[in-house]
Amino acid sequence: MTQPLLEVRDLHTVFSTKEGTVKAVDGVSFDLTPGETLGIVGESGCGKSVTALSVMRLQRPGKIVSGKVMFKGQDLTKLSEYEMREIRGREIAMIFQDPMTSLNPVFQVGWQVGEPTRLHHGWGAKKALASAVNMLSRVGIPSAESRANDYPHQFSGGMRQRAMIAMGLTTTPQVLIADEPTTALDVTIQAQILDLLRHVNREFGTATILITHNLGVVAGMCERIIVMYAGKVVESGPTKDVFAHPTHPYTWSLLRSIPRLDAEKHEPLKPIEGVPPNLADLPTGCAFHPRCVFRVDRCTRDVPALLRVGESQLAACWVTQAGGELTGA
Amino acid sequence: MIGPSRVAELDVPAAGVETGAARPAQSYWNESWERLRANRVGMAAGLLIVVFALIALLAPLFSLVVTHVQPQTINLDDTFFRPGLRHLLGTDELGRDTLTRLIWGARVSLGVAFLTVAMSLSVGTTVGMVAGYYGGWIDDVLMRFVDMVLAIPAIFLFILMSILFRPNAITLAAIVASVGWGSVARLVRGEVLSVKQRDFILATRSIGAGDARLMVRHLLPNVLPVLIVAASLGVGQIILIEAALDFLGLGIQPPTPSWGNMLTNAQSYFFRSGFLVAFPGITIFITVLASNIFGNAVRDAFDPRLKS
Amino acid sequence: MLAKYIARRFLASVIVVLGVTVITLLLMNSTRGSYVPGIDLNPALRPEDIARLRANLGLDRPFYEWYMSWIWAVLHGDFGRSMIDGSPVMSHILDRLPNTLELTGTAIVIGVLISVPLGVIGALRRGSKTDHVLTVVSVAGFAVPQFWMGLMLILIFSVTLQQHGLPWLPSSGAFSAYAGGDILDRILHLILPATVLSFFYLSVWSRFIRSSMLEVLSQDYIRTARAKGMSERRVVYLHGLRNALIPLITLIGLELPGLVSGGLVVEVVFGWPGIGKLAFERALQYDYSTVMGVTFFATLLVIAGNLLADLLYGVLDPRIRYS
Repeated sequence: MTQPLLEVRDLHTVFSTKEGTVKAVDGVSFDLTPGETLGIVGESGCGKSVTALSVMRLQRPGKIVSGKVMFKGQDLTKLSEYEMREIRGREIAMIFQDPMTSLNPVFQVGWQVGEPTRLHHGWGAKKALASAVNMLSRVGIPSAESRANDYPHQFSGGMRQRAMIAMGLTTTPQVLIADEPTTALDVTIQAQILDLLRHVNREFGTATILITHNLGVVAGMCERIIVMYAGKVVESGPTKDVFAHPTHPYTWSLLRSIPRLDAEKHEPLKPIEGVPPNLADLPTGCAFHPRCVFRVDRCTRDVPALLRVGESQLAACWVTQAGGELTGA
Repeated sequence: MIGPSRVAELDVPAAGVETGAARPAQSYWNESWERLRANRVGMAAGLLIVVFALIALLAPLFSLVVTHVQPQTINLDDTFFRPGLRHLLGTDELGRDTLTRLIWGARVSLGVAFLTVAMSLSVGTTVGMVAGYYGGWIDDVLMRFVDMVLAIPAIFLFILMSILFRPNAITLAAIVASVGWGSVARLVRGEVLSVKQRDFILATRSIGAGDARLMVRHLLPNVLPVLIVAASLGVGQIILIEAALDFLGLGIQPPTPSWGNMLTNAQSYFFRSGFLVAFPGITIFITVLASNIFGNAVRDAFDPRLKS
Repeated sequence: MLAKYIARRFLASVIVVLGVTVITLLLMNSTRGSYVPGIDLNPALRPEDIARLRANLGLDRPFYEWYMSWIWAVLHGDFGRSMIDGSPVMSHILDRLPNTLELTGTAIVIGVLISVPLGVIGALRRGSKTDHVLTVVSVAGFAVPQFWMGLMLILIFSVTLQQHGLPWLPSSGAFSAYAGGDILDRILHLILPATVLSFFYLSVWSRFIRSSMLEVLSQDYIRTARAKGMSERRVVYLHGLRNALIPLITLIGLELPGLVSGGLVVEVVFGWPGIGKLAFERALQYDYSTVMGVTFFATLLVIAGNLLADLLYGVLDPRIRYS
């Protein structure tokens, strides 16, 4: 097995709110191997974005209270702010959900795309701009040379997300974190951006963490996925296996709530009953139990750990860990 | 394997947001009042203004009972008295008691300020409502006129008018209000334009209500919160303007004391008594500060949208 | 596109200017007859002299005729003649204008230079002691009467220091009458009035920058900038401030009337020979025509300032399109 590039171990990130301390990330662990694409899936507010921001140490005003983020032999949570800046944008790049608002409106696109190389490689304005133009054309922006002089508002949404991706790639980072990169875009554009990310992953060998609430995106993109619920990882494993045999009721319900072409018989779509939990006031035991159709007594009392279930998957569920099957209902 | 386009998303649709009430309900006023009452600093500032206003109203009583002199009482044996037991805040170049003059001056300064606000609001509201309600060329003409009035640097206009009309308290208020109404009109017009979009106006019209009824009974209550905020924020600024005009000798004329004109000759007596300069200024400062703090509290309580 | 926008904005300004002339001239007209102060009482004047004076001032003609000839003269740079000595108003204005620009320009520059960092500090340390202190100072700044602040500064830095034989600051005029006139002398004279004038704007603008900065710092592109590995200083001062300053330009443009008006009181207190003081002096002598000429001129400055701010806004903010 290859050495992981990024190891997240038992990460805890909290926010102080009026209602009390919210554990947005509550003991999350995962590995990212070089060149792979990992999906992190869950409903809004499950902590997937905060997990990614914590890796970048951009989780403010949240606080990382414990855990490790090992990257190339050093623990990112222990680095000084100055050392961390050397990592951000150089070794680990991040692109965000809304390309409309993620680019600074008052600077030209080429200038912004070239900024990481000016910062991290100390390149001059000319060289940085040339590389930015090159990168812009490689992510599929036509006549990149002239478009580099445009301002963000002159770009369409899809073009802006391409520019964001180009900006992430100029320093050829080893990890690219894409936080809901397609959510704000039209459906047709979404597919193009996902193609681009796949292409980038192959051509540059950049390991990618794709954060999304859209299972379909994960299915086409990622080798492995992590499913998060209420700040915890509830299931992880190879995408194929998780889709074929979900071992956590939440994943199971998620898959049943979306239409599938490969379903053996045409089951009616079933939305997940209930509402996502209030992170400031979590239910006892397994956080998913109030919405779970398989729940047993123990689920309301004890929190299940993330353990091996089946050949390749991990799940945090008392039912499947005891050999139970997720069927029917 | 399933492709991206065949898959529905997981987001649970948000619960429908309730549409706002047609006009500020009774509970709006209660809630705003509760919010205002909860703001202790704001309430203290408001109380101070009320106390000052009461003192101003009861000035003759204070002259009789507390300071025992009239504001115009000249005593050439007692000039440039320092603050002390005999004259709490000292005396001026003619031996007049500073405290007495400040108390009588409050009548002028506060009176003109309140009168100005009242005039600005009534003219501004009328113009703003008419412009916003009728729209079209009426709106264009009225608002261009507002543009013109507001384009002239106000103090020049005040100077021009005060030499043309030689003001007393009431005309002075009218002069200051002749500019102040413009911004009120803009404010009210904007508010009317947004209220007009709402369905209840159409509904009211559909049951046969006339223009006047619509404006007074339906638009005015909606505009009222904005007016209350504008009024409470305006008092402090107007006190400052009035004081400046009095100081320049273009407002209330001596011997009637006002906070501003008590400072007109201050420069001549710098070497005799710094207190003569300090006290009227401090009085103006405290009053304006209290009005502004109270105004901010009112804004925060009545117009949560504007809260910074 | 831009040319068309400028043309339209300019045309709108011209309409406002024309309106202003009607308003001011109607005001003047409203007191016809009592116009020339003391003219009827002066025993040295014969009736035919009075008639001649009235004719010179155009008081014997109907309003529209008077108005048209006034406009015609203004178009030729003639802002009327003083009622006191018949000298052209424009020459007085040009005499005083450099002083006013010197004072208000200094005040604007000081105001911006101090308020921007203060606003940024307030936003970055929101809720801290520093922020609270800045808030209190700013709230106080709104409430201090400018003329009184001027008087107090004179009392402290001129009168009291002088009384104690310490170095003191001049309190009147733009330069010393005898030895002075060099740059250092002018700066010394500028200190007190510029302090008063910039103080109020400082309290307004620092609040404004603070809230504008707070809003900008919560934007997504700030997160992007941080994710690129930028220093906090670069994030705040390059990516943040550039965006936060754009609305300030408009604010300064809109505050220009205030800057000219506020300047008047300060000019009077400090005996600063600017156009504000000119208007004030002439007002005390009931020289209506000069006051009106100056008023009209100041209005032109204000409208030009607003127009300029508008255009500058478009240059600074690439999102604005002139349509």
